[in-house]
This record gives sequence, C-alpha cells and structure tokens, in this order.
Amino acid sequence: MKNDTIHLMGVYTGTIMKSWFQYKVDAVLRSLAVFLREATGIIVIYFTLLKFDTLNGWDIYELLFLFSLLFLTYGVLIIFFTGLRDFGRTVRDGGFDRFILRPRGLLFQLIFSNADWFAAIGHGGLGIVLFVFSAGNVGITWNAGSVIYYITAVIGGVLIQGAIFLFLATLNIYLLETNSLKELFYWNMRKFAGYPISIFHKAIQFCMIYVVPFAFVNYFPAQYLLRKEDMAGYPSVYMYLTPAVGAVLYLVTYGFWRYSLRFYKSSGN
Amino acid sequence: MSFIEVNEVSKTFRVSKRSAGIPGMLANLVVPKYEKKRAVNNISFSIEQGEMVGFIGPNGAGKSTTIKMLSGILYPDTGSVRVNGYIPYRQRKEYVGSIGVVFGQKSQLQWDLPVIDSFELLKAIYRVPDEVYQKNLKRFMDMLDMSGFINHPVRQLSLGQRMRADIVAALLHSPQIVFFDEPTIGVDVVGKETIRNFICELNAKDKVTMLFTTHDMQDIEKTCKRLIIIDKGSKVYDGLLSGIRDAYGTTRQVDVEFAQDCTVLPIEHVEIKELDFPSGRKKRFLFESREVQIDSLMNSLLADYAIRDLTVSEPEIEGLIRKIYNGEVAQ
Repeated sequence: MKNDTIHLMGVYTGTIMKSWFQYKVDAVLRSLAVFLREATGIIVIYFTLLKFDTLNGWDIYELLFLFSLLFLTYGVLIIFFTGLRDFGRTVRDGGFDRFILRPRGLLFQLIFSNADWFAAIGHGGLGIVLFVFSAGNVGITWNAGSVIYYITAVIGGVLIQGAIFLFLATLNIYLLETNSLKELFYWNMRKFAGYPISIFHKAIQFCMIYVVPFAFVNYFPAQYLLRKEDMAGYPSVYMYLTPAVGAVLYLVTYGFWRYSLRFYKSSGN
Repeated sequence: MSFIEVNEVSKTFRVSKRSAGIPGMLANLVVPKYEKKRAVNNISFSIEQGEMVGFIGPNGAGKSTTIKMLSGILYPDTGSVRVNGYIPYRQRKEYVGSIGVVFGQKSQLQWDLPVIDSFELLKAIYRVPDEVYQKNLKRFMDMLDMSGFINHPVRQLSLGQRMRADIVAALLHSPQIVFFDEPTIGVDVVGKETIRNFICELNAKDKVTMLFTTHDMQDIEKTCKRLIIIDKGSKVYDGLLSGIRDAYGTTRQVDVEFAQDCTVLPIEHVEIKELDFPSGRKKRFLFESREVQIDSLMNSLLADYAIRDLTVSEPEIEGLIRKIYNGEVAQ
C-alpha cells in the first residue's frame, strides 16, 4: 500500500472520530445502548437455555462461545463496512456522486470514510465479554495453532459478512433501496446463526451453508475448536474453509460491484 | 481538438410510472411500468481552454445530467465526451483530479466539523502538496472573506457562508476545469456579487475553464461571454451572450410621457400601449427594428406632440430567455 493511502486512512479516521466527539455524551450513551440492546437478547436466551441441559449436545458455555464469534466478527465488520451498510442512503442523497468525483478508489472511500464506532464498541464489547465468559469453560486448549486458527476464522467471518454487505450495496445501484432485503437475508439469517445449525430443518441448514453462508462465520469454526458430535452430519473439511469462503465470496462480489458501477444512475438533482 | 468535446451525446432514464393511490401502487408492484425519459438528446458542443461558458435551461432541461456526464458520474448512452484528453467515465481516477465540481444544492463539507477540517481532508484525498494548499487556502480565504468562519462547524454557517466554503473546497487542488452547478442558489445579493467576482477573477488570472449553470441571468451577464441554452434535452442556442439580442431581441420599446393627455393616431407596424390609464399621458410604443426606423418615429412624435420625457430600451436578456423557454421565438 502506498504511503499516502495510509495517510489518507488516518485522516479519514481522525475526521470520523472528531465528528463522533462533537457529541460526547451521546457517543458514550449510544455505545452503551447498542451493548445493552444486544446483551438483553443474550440474557433472555441464557435463562431460557438454563431450563435445558444441552441443545443438541451443546451446553450453555458452548452456545455462548458460538454467539461470541457472531458479535466479535460484527464488531470488526462494522468498523470497515459501515459505508456499505449505509450505501442506500449515500446513493439517494447524492453522496456517492461526490465519491465518484474524487481521485480515489470508490470502495476504498466507502470503507474508510465511515465507521460506526458505536456499533463496533457495542457489538465488539459484547463479543469480548461473551468470549471471556465462555472460552475458559468449553475445553479449548489455547496454543499457537488454535489462536492462529481463531484469528483467521474471525477474519474469514468478517469477509463473509462484508461480502453480503457489498452484495446488498451493489443491488442498491439497481434498486435504490435494499433495506428490506438486508433484513431478510442478513439479519434473519443471523438470528439462526446464534444456534448450532444442526437443530434446524434441512432447508434452513442448506441456506446457512450455501446461500447466506453464516455457518462458516461461527458454526464451523466453533466446531473445529469444540468438536461436537453433530459435526458428523457435515463434511469435516468445512471446518477449515472459513477463510477461503470469505476470500472467494468477497472477490466474486467485488467483481459484481465493479461490473455494476457502469449502471449507476445518480439521484436527481 | 477542443479542450472539452461533447459529441452527439444522449442519455435516457427509465422512470417508474404508476397511477395514483393505493390501487396504482399495488398494480405497479405486480406489473411495474416504466417510461423512458430522454434527459439529454443528441447534444454537441465544444469549449476551449480558459473559456467561461454559461449553461442554462429551464428546470428539467438536462443541465445536471450533462454536467454529470462531463464530470464522469454518468455514462452517456450514445455519443462521446472528451475533456482535456480524457474520457471522463472511463478514466475516472486520472481525470477527476483535474476538475472541480460545485453542486450548489449539495455540500461536500463535513456537517458537524469546522470548515477547516473538511479542507484538510480534501488536501489528503487530492494529495495536494503543503505549499500549494497553504497558498490556495490563503488566497481564496482573502478573496471570499472567509477568515471569520473558517473554524465554525458547517452546521452553524449561513447559506452564503456555506456556499463560499463549498466553492473553496472544490478549488483547493487547483483544478483546470470547474463545473459550477447553481453556485449562487439561495445566496443574498451581496454574497452573489462576491461569488461572481471571485469566479471572474479565477477565470481571468488562472485561466481556469468553467461551465456555469444557474437560473439567475445576472450571474451569466456578469461572468460569461458565451452562453449555451438547452431545453427538453436539446441545445437551442450556442453563441455569444450579446448574440442573443441580435438573434432574438429585435423588438424595441419607446416609453413616452406627454405634457398633457393626448390621443396618438395609429402608426403602421407600431403597437401602442397605455401605461397610465385612464389618463393618456404615458404610452409605450413597441415595434420591430427592421420594420420601423427609430429616428423617423421619434421625429414624427416630437413634431406632432409636446413631450416631457422619453426612454428607449432594448429588450432584457432575461425576458428573451424567458421567451426562448416558452417557445415564443423561432429557434
């Protein structure tokens, strides 16, 4: 990467930070609000699951470990992909025209000119809390191998979800608004991803693996570390595929994005 | 080859078309209907380096679409655009560093931050060297009298201040070409004058090529020698501003105030209007310059009537433009 690219990333980040800290109290409260909103969901699930011993062989700590991957990857994701999350609005208010008029990569500008640090702190913070709470109680031996595996799995999980965001953002070029699609394909699938996919109907499992591959974000990486019996239902190679799925999906979606840009119609005046 | 070449360019948008109300909405959901709207229709023109050209037309004429194709935001459907040797929509990254665009209706400044922070960000984006940045910033701030609000958050600025800041933002990287899309919209008389003077000076001293879109004819009259008018996507005039009068402004008007009430006998080819009805003391005489000699009309009036005051006027550009928009003159 060229030196001035890194410099620009720094200036962008500084600008974002300054904007957030124009409203200091709000910045703290919103991070807290995101954290509490997500944590409430987890607490409800926690007490519900206490009624059961295990869910398809998964005990409560293992389930929380599964959740922690979902929140951690989202926390990292939203630092880099807020611009894609909000892309519909950027197109509609003409902000994307402005990106086109600047001599930098479009995706680069989208990614680095915006970062939702509230969501990052809220989700990422919860992910860390869940990880700390569960990781010592699920029988994982933490050595160099498993740590490296874990980090690449997180990166792969971020890329998978980033590709989904990029795909939905690209559809904006054609449809102008894709929030309902995001609700359907991202957030609904993400709700399933909180649980071991083996408890669901085959059709849902198929979706989670091959359509919106959330299974590679947390289920298969967790399986590598936990080795639960229900993994027998899937090819064991899937436990190693997360980084590859992330990279391939992201590259393919990037091609779709590049191809679609020529159809961009700009908003009115 | 000219600096800016626009060659038989057309652009059509697909507009969703639905009938009113909930039934219309539902029908559209099942069978979407689209209508093709030709925003720009086979337009050609060329602009030389250092020229300053007014680009006007009624709302929806295709001005913004043309500017968006010139600046690389939109691909034309047919035809070609070439600016400074670049094809804007194909060589975007190389090209846009040499242009500046001001959208009067859309700020590019960071809403919550002081103006200077947006400038610093643009400096990094455009890779503007330190000394160039400092020199430009100081010069533009003096010219536009901005030192009073450079450290204020953009959200607290008046519209006139924000517009000046936006103009500077588009110029910090010393672009060779600037597209102004309504840079005086909503700005008060003094502010407009400041902006016009600034634009004139930039063109005169730095030889920056400019295309200037506006609805305020005074903007054009005070800045541009050349004018392009488009209407319904097609070019209807391209030439000198003064040429508008020669081409369309052949009507002359003489307002006369008589010493007392009087009735004027009809004169051939001259339309007479009462200006001070019911008294007959003030009248307006309208005629085509090629049909009636102005001196013979004056002589006959002065010979026959006692006249207190008399003004001869040419039609105003603004009135002529209005006639062109309304289709009242042959094109």
